[in-house]
Order: sequence, then structure tokens, then C-alpha cells
Amino acid sequence: MGLVRKIVTWARIKSPWIIHFNTGACNACDIEIVAALTPRYDLERFGIQLKGTPRHADVLVCSGPVTKQITPRLKRIYEQMPEPKFVVAVGTCSCSGGVFQGCYNVESGIDEVLPVSAYIPGCPASPKAIIDGVTKLLMSLEDKEGSRIQGPGSGKK
Amino acid sequence: MIAAFFNLLIFPGFLFLAIFGLAAEYIDRIIYARLQNRMGPPWFQPLADLIKLIAKEDVIPCEANPRMFKMMPILALTAAVTASFYIPLWGERALFSFNGDLVVVLYLLTIPTLTFFLGGWYSTSLFSKIGAMRAITQLFAYEVPLFICILAPALLANTWSLSEMAAFYAAHPFYWTFNLIGFGVALIAMLGKLEKVPFDIPEAETEIVAGTFTEYSGKLLGFFKLAIDVEAVVGASLLAAVFLPFGYGIGSYLGFVIYVAKVLFIICLLALSRTIFARLRIDQMMEFCWKYVAPLAFVQLVIDLALKGVLIR
Ligand code: SF4
Repeated sequence: MGLVRKIVTWARIKSPWIIHFNTGACNACDIEIVAALTPRYDLERFGIQLKGTPRHADVLVCSGPVTKQITPRLKRIYEQMPEPKFVVAVGTCSCSGGVFQGCYNVESGIDEVLPVSAYIPGCPASPKAIIDGVTKLLMSLEDKEGSRIQGPGSGKK
Repeated sequence: MIAAFFNLLIFPGFLFLAIFGLAAEYIDRIIYARLQNRMGPPWFQPLADLIKLIAKEDVIPCEANPRMFKMMPILALTAAVTASFYIPLWGERALFSFNGDLVVVLYLLTIPTLTFFLGGWYSTSLFSKIGAMRAITQLFAYEVPLFICILAPALLANTWSLSEMAAFYAAHPFYWTFNLIGFGVALIAMLGKLEKVPFDIPEAETEIVAGTFTEYSGKLLGFFKLAIDVEAVVGASLLAAVFLPFGYGIGSYLGFVIYVAKVLFIICLLALSRTIFARLRIDQMMEFCWKYVAPLAFVQLVIDLALKGVLIR
């Protein structure tokens, strides 16, 4: 079993497919995420591909401080993703609420709603920071190789 | 018995085709990346994608019909692998052959498209239904030119068997140069069959999420991806056998190298067109196929009929 688990972990690290979801960002972080996917930064080197549907994705890349209106939709998209799944919060807003913290209409950060695996701060987070954050998330999977890898969502928040 | 199982599962069968298909996908992606001036994925990328998908959870929508939903990816893979047994790969003879296997291969290669349609239809999501309808509409556009232009060389060879066709073209070198128009038509039709970029209308990810495959995840999606890769290789082998029939009978090792080179050449042409063109609308695609591609296929048919009168008495 050990070998199979190792191969599966290797495959998961080498092929993270992402889905990008705007949870109420000011759009700057979204533009940076899209910029990170262009040929200039070439995320396909790491096997990262942008997918249109949550069914195909492994990593949910969120930007923005979860507005009250988008919360149920964010949860629904998360629930549509098959296990194992991870959430990456891009931008200061999605890490802590940023400039919107304490507003009447926001939740102040993704981790108020979903379990988050990686935080990438920056206002907006630059493509280089995003790539750095994603590769660090993948590296942390490698460390956990011994234990069976599961999305942090599998043990209910 | 053991030899038959070996043939079916390992050597020209499933395992070989799967590995060759993954390698072809890698070559397709790296050419695409290099033409866009970027590094592209590492060599093991398609394999890592496949293993990851197989190890992931399968989600079956509760509205969907579970039996049809699960059966379609496996059916697609089976049909694509089965078609390869009738195509002469590097010898003049295919693994199995009978008079009329050309038609059987063409129909077997149609089955994956039908499974895309049924899989999308039975997953009952709106996006996959739109994708399914587009897949079947597109089928009517490219299938007729493909059939006509593949049957034209068979007409010249006066046989319906792929192995006998290969033998005929091996006996008459340079006859294949008469079929170059047909080769172009078949390449265009192949792009439609594999749902590659100018004709990736059924899974247009910027319009309808992921088209037919929207609801598929995990193992089932992995099987569909593998089926598309295998179909690409088998389709390219069919084109190589029909339109580039040379390099037979020079020893199996050299023949094998030539076979791989021919298939990769066709894969490269497909990757090139994927980079150059943008996606067409479904009505533009129908118009293009019926107004320009189908008449070209008929030209090929007429050329072969005329040649048959002149060359072969
Ligand atoms: S972190 Fe800054 S740039 Fe990003 S969404 Fe928030 S306010 Fe906009």
C-alpha cells in the first residue's frame, strides 16, 4: 500500500487543477490570478490548469472577503468539488477581510466560512506571490506523505 | 490463448495504446506550449493527471442515471481500443482483418462521440446537455466528409479491408500521393472527432463550463480523458494506414519506428492547427464542413474513380 500511496501523493502534487472564484474582491486580485495563468508566468510548468467546473478542480482559489450574499454560493461550490480538495485565499481581503474588515456586509475572510489551506497576502497579491503560495501548499502535501492526504474539509469545520 | 490475451491487453492492445496516447497528449501539449513561447508541462504530466483523477472521489449527480453515467467512459475507452485491432500498424497485416473492416473501424471510432453525447445527456446538467447537443450536431458535419475521403483510397485499392489496402499501396508505391486532398479532409474531420480547438465547440470552456464533461469527476473523467487520448492515437494510426501507406516490410523494428513517426507527424499537425485557429461557432462549423470540406472529399472520390479507370484495368 505504501508505494501506491506514494504514487498517488506524487500525482496529486504534480497535477493540481484550480477553479477561480471571486468572493467579493475588488477585482484587482482576480486580475493578478488571471495574470499568473498567462503564458508569461506559465503555471502549466507545475501542472496547474484552470478548470471551468468545480467537479474537475482540486484547489479552490478565492479572492475577496466573502460578502454575505456570496456565502451560500461559496459553500455550494466547495461542496460540489470532489475530495480531496483545498482552498487557497488570495489577497489580504480573503485572508483577514483587509480594508473591508468589519463592514456590515462581509464575513472578514474565507476562513470564517471554509477551511483554508494556504493564505497569500498582498493587496493585490502579485502573480509571483501566488505561484510561491501554491508551490508551498504543494510542498506541505509532500511533508504529510506518511499520513493519508485529505482535504482539510473532510473533518467537518 | 495466452498470446491472444497478451495482444489484447499488453502489446498492440490496451497498455501500449494507453502509454502511446499519454505520450501523444504530452507531445501535443508541449508543442502547444512552445508555440506560445512558454515552457510547457513536464513529460510525466498526462500520467500524473490520470493517476490523480483515478484516486479522486467520484461524484454522481443524484438526478443522473447512475448506470449510464458510469458506463459511458468505459464504453468510449473500449471502442477506441477495439478499433486499433483492425488497423495495420507497422506490418501490412492488422491483428484481425476481414473484408469490410474499414467500415467497422470507422463506426467504432464514432462510438466515443456517441458516448460523449449520452454521458452528457444522462448527467442532466444544463451545460452538459448543451454540450451533448453540440457534440451530436458536430458529428453530422464532419462524419460524412471523413467517411467519403477514407472510402476513396479503398475504392482505388478495390477492397474494403485495411490490411489488403496496405498491401495494395505497398505493391504500388507512390499511389498514395493521389490521396493527399483526402488526407487534408481527414485531418480536418479528425480535429472535429477529437474535439480539438477550432472544433472544440462541445466542450467550449469559456461558454458552457466544460460541456459534456461538466458533471464528470474522478475516475470517470480520467477514463474519458484516456479514451480521448487513445482515440487520438488510433485515429492517427488509421490516417497513417490509409493515407501514408509506406514503410512496410522492412523489418518489424524499423517498421515500428516509421509507424511511430507517422503517428507523431499527424499529432503534430493537429497540435499546430490547435495553436493557429480560434474556436468556431457551431453554425460556422456546419457551414464550413458542408460547403468546403464535403465537396473536397467528393473531389477526392472523383479523382480516385478516374484513376481507377486509367491505372487499373
Ligand atoms: S486584497 Fe486588495 S486588491 Fe485584493 S481584492 Fe482585497 S482590496 Fe482588492
